[in-house]
Amino acid sequence: MAVFLAQIVNGISLGSVYVLLVTGFNLLLLVAMIIHYSFPIVVVFSMYISWIVLGLTGGNMFLGLSAGIVSAVLINILTAPMFQHIMKKRGDVDINSTMVLSMGIGMIITDFLSHSVNSGFPIAFPDSLTGRGEPAFIRLGVISMSRGDMLSLTLGIIFVLGLFWILYKTRAGRAFRAIAEDPNGAKLVGIPILKTGLQSYALTGLLGGVSAVAMSILLGSASPGLGDQLGRKVLAVSIIAGLGNLKGGLIVGISLGILEALVQGYWSGTWSNSIAFVVMLIAILVKPKGIFGMKL
Amino acid sequence: MKRVTVIAMALLLAIGTFTFANGKKEEPAKKAEPAKSSFKMTEWEIPFLNCLTGPIASIGEYLEWGAERAALEINQAGGINGIPVKVTGIDTAMSPETGTVEMAKLTKSALVVMGPVPEPVILAAVPIAVRAGLYSFTATTSYEYAAKFFPWAISWFSPTEEKLPPVVTAWAKKNPGMKNVVQFVENYGAWPGMAKAHVIGLKKAGVNVLKQVDVPTDAVTFGPLVVKALSENPDGIVFACNAEKVAKLILELQSRGWKDNGRLLVFSSADDGALYTTGGKNIDGVMIYNYVDPNLNTPRWQAFRKAFKADHNGMEPFSLSPNYYDAVYMIKRAIEETGITGDPSKLKEERIKIRDYCNNIKDFKGLMFNWTNKNGVPQDKPLFLFKIENGKKVLVEKVIPSNK
Amino acid sequence: MSLPLYYYLAITAVYILMTWALYLPYRVAHLHFMVVANMAISGYFGGYAAINWHWSFLAVFAAGFLIGAVVSFVVSIAIGDAPTFAVVIVGFTFIYITKTVIENWPAMGSTMGMFGIPLVNHILLYAYLFVLVTGFFIYRFDHSRLGRAASAIFIHRELATSFGVNTKYLGMFLQTWAGAIGGATGVLYGFIMNSLFPNFFTFPIIGATMTMLFLGGYTTMWGPLLAAPVLWGAPLLLPTAVASWRQIIYGVLLIVILLLRPEGAITRPFIVKVQTTIFQWMRIKKV
Repeated sequence: MAVFLAQIVNGISLGSVYVLLVTGFNLLLLVAMIIHYSFPIVVVFSMYISWIVLGLTGGNMFLGLSAGIVSAVLINILTAPMFQHIMKKRGDVDINSTMVLSMGIGMIITDFLSHSVNSGFPIAFPDSLTGRGEPAFIRLGVISMSRGDMLSLTLGIIFVLGLFWILYKTRAGRAFRAIAEDPNGAKLVGIPILKTGLQSYALTGLLGGVSAVAMSILLGSASPGLGDQLGRKVLAVSIIAGLGNLKGGLIVGISLGILEALVQGYWSGTWSNSIAFVVMLIAILVKPKGIFGMKL
Repeated sequence: MKRVTVIAMALLLAIGTFTFANGKKEEPAKKAEPAKSSFKMTEWEIPFLNCLTGPIASIGEYLEWGAERAALEINQAGGINGIPVKVTGIDTAMSPETGTVEMAKLTKSALVVMGPVPEPVILAAVPIAVRAGLYSFTATTSYEYAAKFFPWAISWFSPTEEKLPPVVTAWAKKNPGMKNVVQFVENYGAWPGMAKAHVIGLKKAGVNVLKQVDVPTDAVTFGPLVVKALSENPDGIVFACNAEKVAKLILELQSRGWKDNGRLLVFSSADDGALYTTGGKNIDGVMIYNYVDPNLNTPRWQAFRKAFKADHNGMEPFSLSPNYYDAVYMIKRAIEETGITGDPSKLKEERIKIRDYCNNIKDFKGLMFNWTNKNGVPQDKPLFLFKIENGKKVLVEKVIPSNK
Repeated sequence: MSLPLYYYLAITAVYILMTWALYLPYRVAHLHFMVVANMAISGYFGGYAAINWHWSFLAVFAAGFLIGAVVSFVVSIAIGDAPTFAVVIVGFTFIYITKTVIENWPAMGSTMGMFGIPLVNHILLYAYLFVLVTGFFIYRFDHSRLGRAASAIFIHRELATSFGVNTKYLGMFLQTWAGAIGGATGVLYGFIMNSLFPNFFTFPIIGATMTMLFLGGYTTMWGPLLAAPVLWGAPLLLPTAVASWRQIIYGVLLIVILLLRPEGAITRPFIVKVQTTIFQWMRIKKV
């Protein structure tokens, strides 16, 4: 029983990574109507920026982590005109094109990281940030949660809840969603399109930056291929939950983490992806528009 | 409109016909240029089919650095038979398709080829070299890959199941109370085969292997795998997965109460920068086996090590760094000892001379030690068992597996 | 023909076929990545049959084509008219399953890869004959009522349905056809390379063929035909120092093309323009 509980806790820890990323991914779908397949790659890039600044400032946590967050916001704002340019032609061009554009951005970032940062080797964050080498924060036999687990989970929960609040309880959130659903209608009712559009990209960038901080603490390291690996899972989680469905993404993200942990724990690690995808396949065949329905 | 389509289709058909007319498979090097009495060698060019971009680009750079260092030393000492040597790096980007085209380019005139790197490119490109009678120095792959192409490819390693068990047995004997071991294995290339060899070594030492824990290639967190391993109550653990994953598994083990790092054994393929950068001080005390002893006190090795560190921000040479350095020197010796001229009219026979010489080279003076090849299999090459202390490897035991 | 050109053309044929295999289901807006799994299944079957049962290339090729068609047909019963992204998940699932099965199956060479697939004379001819035949049928399809129905589905699925287009049957037909092309191409690939490695049949080939499809143009069959030889061939000609940045170059090209020509380099209006120019030129010549 202890082993089973430990695997559930492990699954929640893994699932929290998916939740952070899928929330940002879904947010971009909701507020900008783009399939940002490479959103996890942008997050990993921000982790690298944090690592570089930490190195340059002699391990200044505040500056390092802030740089990561700022870089995610900047990338989102800088790439926004490209996505908007494609979205303007919607009707002629389908939403898939935004995914391909995002893949292009991802190719550039991933190759840049493998070429030019740390000779392509994985980067590792300092123990003072990740809590490595410290005794576990909570430990009951094999059940264990490190300081990093706790911190990243708390950070994730706070930001995801904050995001829900902004989107569904504030005027700005309503404006974001209105622009995504009908830009012309939003303009008619007096929503400043440019300003609100930029704010929405900045907000998703902020979430990406916070995700980068949480992942730096939780995972303790990153490699150039990490974003690509996560990208496929995040896309899958979003589709299974229902594209753009934030609550669905949360539940499916955690569930996928638990499922993978159980398969790895009780069967075989090499089969974990296959099993996870078979389960998701069954789910999508039963509910083609996602378990919780699309929110687009 | 239809006419245009017909033209387009005819064009495609023409390509097909053209290829049919010329689509013979590659021919051996017999078509080399006729002999010219005026031939004069100006430079020995050694092509190196390497991987300089993609996920293992950094490793490719280290391999190339070793080869170029050897060429530099040789040229400073007067070249090969007085003629300078040049290593030409060719990037396959880890793509078997690119590897085939690049290897095909070399079949016409190259005397010998270094590489390819890594295994997917070897499987696709070396058959082309074999058919053209071109000898490949596949110096970083395991014996099992190179053996498929014998005598036209050479590995720097003896058969895995002969080479690895003794060093694993030696590790087990350093931990007398250790009775039950779990092994983490990643399903990639030759690694499952290496894991099998570890099991042979453990059994020889009377150690029971409780379980193999499969590590997914794209694992992000490692809690589930570690809990699975610890639920078996092992008193020792062997790792056969990539360097970053090994470091993360060790950190996860420690967070769940694992204390004795001496009972953790890391395999040679994980001995690269990622192990040390990700593991930091937390991997102190961990045991690791490898083919290179960084503390070897010979002037040649120390000069190599110093130059490597100077060019790589103080990083120690990694386990495969000397392989292509040695390959260049082996080619030098083969050329000098067999009287190879580099004359294109003698290309076919000179390729065979190099092949036969290297496959059975005697007392080759490698960067770290001397060795002899017998039918393409290195004899009595040592392995080293280390303990990691302050991020550096400290020699615990030198093991010489005897070949059959 | 020189040996490098021989291999360049052979692999170009593989890329053209695989990009067409993606192109066909994309006519109804399906990103059918399952063709990569089809490629692996048929390729490994072909390799095994040739090595162990000594089947001839043509027998293996026909079997690979059929296996690809059957596997895709069975799956298409479930996803013939599924939403685009459900089809993506199916593709990912089959890629993971295929790779895992191969890696754990010693008869398929496991993680070491399959080696020793025999050489076949005139494989380049077979490859380009298959390109020709496939191209011909795709052309016929694109200019048929079915092709127009597919375009209608791409633009507005519901509207196409209300006009009487059977979206499910058309989706099934295209997925089955794409699977057959993928399967046959897997066999071709194995015989060209004489070896197979499980990692090839995963996400890098999706990235490469997607780039070819979207850069070349996804609205006509001619886009892949142009993009495959150029994108795969360019790095072979560039100096190593430049070629080593190929992924970044592809990424930049992808972005630029999507921004400037969202439907890719070769679009339908472009084809019409080219055809008109050729007709005019021919008339002038006649006069």
